[in-house]
Amino acid sequence: MIDFGRVQKELQECSKDSQASGIKVSPKADNLARLVGTIPGPIGTPYEGGTFQIDITLPDAYPFQPPKMQFATKVWHPNISSQSGAICLDILKDQWSPALTLKTALLSIQALLSAPEPDDPQDAVVAQQYLKDYQTFVGTARYWTETFAKTSALGVEEKVQRLVEMGFLESLVRSTLDAVGGDENLALEKLCSA
Amino acid sequence: MAEEESAQKMEEFRSMAIEDDESEQISGSFICCVCLDLLYKPVILACGHISCFWCVHRSMSGVSETKCALCRQPYLHFPSICLLLHFLLLKMYPDSYRRREILTLEEEKKEGTFSPQFDALTWRSGDEEQQKLSHSSQSHMKCSDPNSSMDTGSFRNGEPHASKVQSEPIEGIDSYSPSSPKQDLKQERDIIVEEESAHPIGSDQSCKQITASDVLCAECKQLLFHPVALNCGHVYCESCIVYPADEKLTCQVCKSRHPGGLPKVCLELDHFLEQQFPEECALRRLTARPRLAISENGSQKSRNSGADNELRNSSRSIDTSATHFGVGCDYCGMYPIIGYRYQCQDCIEVIGFDLCGDCYNSRCKLPGRFNQQHRPEHKFRLKKPRYVQNYMLRLVTGQLDDGSTSLVFPNEGSEDGVLLTAPTSPSDVQEDAENGLSIDFVFEDEPDSEHQNNSQSNSN
Repeated sequence: MIDFGRVQKELQECSKDSQASGIKVSPKADNLARLVGTIPGPIGTPYEGGTFQIDITLPDAYPFQPPKMQFATKVWHPNISSQSGAICLDILKDQWSPALTLKTALLSIQALLSAPEPDDPQDAVVAQQYLKDYQTFVGTARYWTETFAKTSALGVEEKVQRLVEMGFLESLVRSTLDAVGGDENLALEKLCSA
Repeated sequence: MAEEESAQKMEEFRSMAIEDDESEQISGSFICCVCLDLLYKPVILACGHISCFWCVHRSMSGVSETKCALCRQPYLHFPSICLLLHFLLLKMYPDSYRRREILTLEEEKKEGTFSPQFDALTWRSGDEEQQKLSHSSQSHMKCSDPNSSMDTGSFRNGEPHASKVQSEPIEGIDSYSPSSPKQDLKQERDIIVEEESAHPIGSDQSCKQITASDVLCAECKQLLFHPVALNCGHVYCESCIVYPADEKLTCQVCKSRHPGGLPKVCLELDHFLEQQFPEECALRRLTARPRLAISENGSQKSRNSGADNELRNSSRSIDTSATHFGVGCDYCGMYPIIGYRYQCQDCIEVIGFDLCGDCYNSRCKLPGRFNQQHRPEHKFRLKKPRYVQNYMLRLVTGQLDDGSTSLVFPNEGSEDGVLLTAPTSPSDVQEDAENGLSIDFVFEDEPDSEHQNNSQSNSN
């Protein structure tokens, strides 16, 4: 049984200083067990300027078990799978403590973006590139940030407009776009299948 | 329909949570780091960090040592609830604390396992002797069986000890009575409203109501200075703790042993005291300093580090083959039990009643950690660890450590246990010997003669 009282408190706390930290957490649907976290790319890294969305699923035993977190936005990083978005971070595994919160976990992920650990990689290809050809790594990471972590924020209104013109409800379009991380085609697919 | 209604009521209570927090302005010191709410039935760990009873219990792994959520210091024993802090919080934040109580009770009813219930009267009317008395006669930590209280109607009427403790006139909040599982929520709320109108407690004044008498050291009876809590939940000044030369630390109030080394100062409580009683604290600092200096120069420091080493060694040498995964001792709180485990045959609660070898031999008379209706005449059975289960658990430890609240694994067979009666007659020991088990019942372990008398009279 998830402690929803605590989750609600966490969301309140998080929204209080989301201006300062840039970190947002919002529920995907009415069910508080599935949420979306948003972190800005740290300044001075190839991820600067990007906005990264992270899928959060709370296990039944939360907060006594770590939340499951996965990047919804594609990222080029040694400790994040470029395929699935899986994150290799100790506090999301055995080092989790019930005193940690969704916000502190997202802050840790943000810190991980600025301090990769290629010796304990999640994505071996990226880690190899990071170690052997750092310049190319930076280039790729920056390119991925430009491509995947910025468009969703920029063209949202245009996408919403296009999809609404196709005959979908605006609120539904917005929530679907949110759910798929801003990918217009995926959203359309989801809207059609729903 | 009834379920829907009660669900609606619970929702109301939950939404009250936010309002309460705003009206009562709970100090950050008293927010549980796990549930992020006002501490409810606070437990102070050996590292000095505070959490709620259920938050600590659910944090504990039951498979091996648990690390403190805040500082990651490992601990194996689930400390008893700190009554001093419990009643302090109840006095300071009556509304929020009651709200927590109602919600927690609702959850407990769902799960069928209850936390200990307390009676404010027992605590408030206590001079030291009375506290000792009440502790040994079990009224200190009251036992309420939800079923029996249903039959008897009122919570207090069901209690055998309620009559003897009402000696002093009681102000405002002391008339608090723990809600029984039986009581309807609406009734509960009505009572709260009535009490509030009878004794209006402004949230602003709540802090002013706290007097030094609410936060006294169990030993020197002065305002707590650098408070430390033992495993039994009693709070002392750091300088009042007497560390015996070769034995384990023992609580002067309840005579129970404190496992591990000297506990650390509870900083949250310390900061609170500094804020509430700046003058008294300054005075205490002046008087306490010489004693501290002595203890630093003396052997206390080396003992302290020795104890730390002991803890580290013990953490390394945990013997998984003798570990009873998911089973805790109901007296000292060791969870999981390592070594001998005695299971009560007569306790019907889902959570069961178990003792570790040391506590079984010391014949403690306390009720269980989860309000079990354990009686001294109940029979125990020595349980061996389940080797196959242990092996499997070790294989898949990561998956089994799911923080689930069920303590006890299903005990299907009884072939691995030997039925034991209370170790008071030599024939029992013989019986054990016949079954190929060598168990030494150490009668010298009795904390004092009074205790021994108790155990004899109880077993008669």
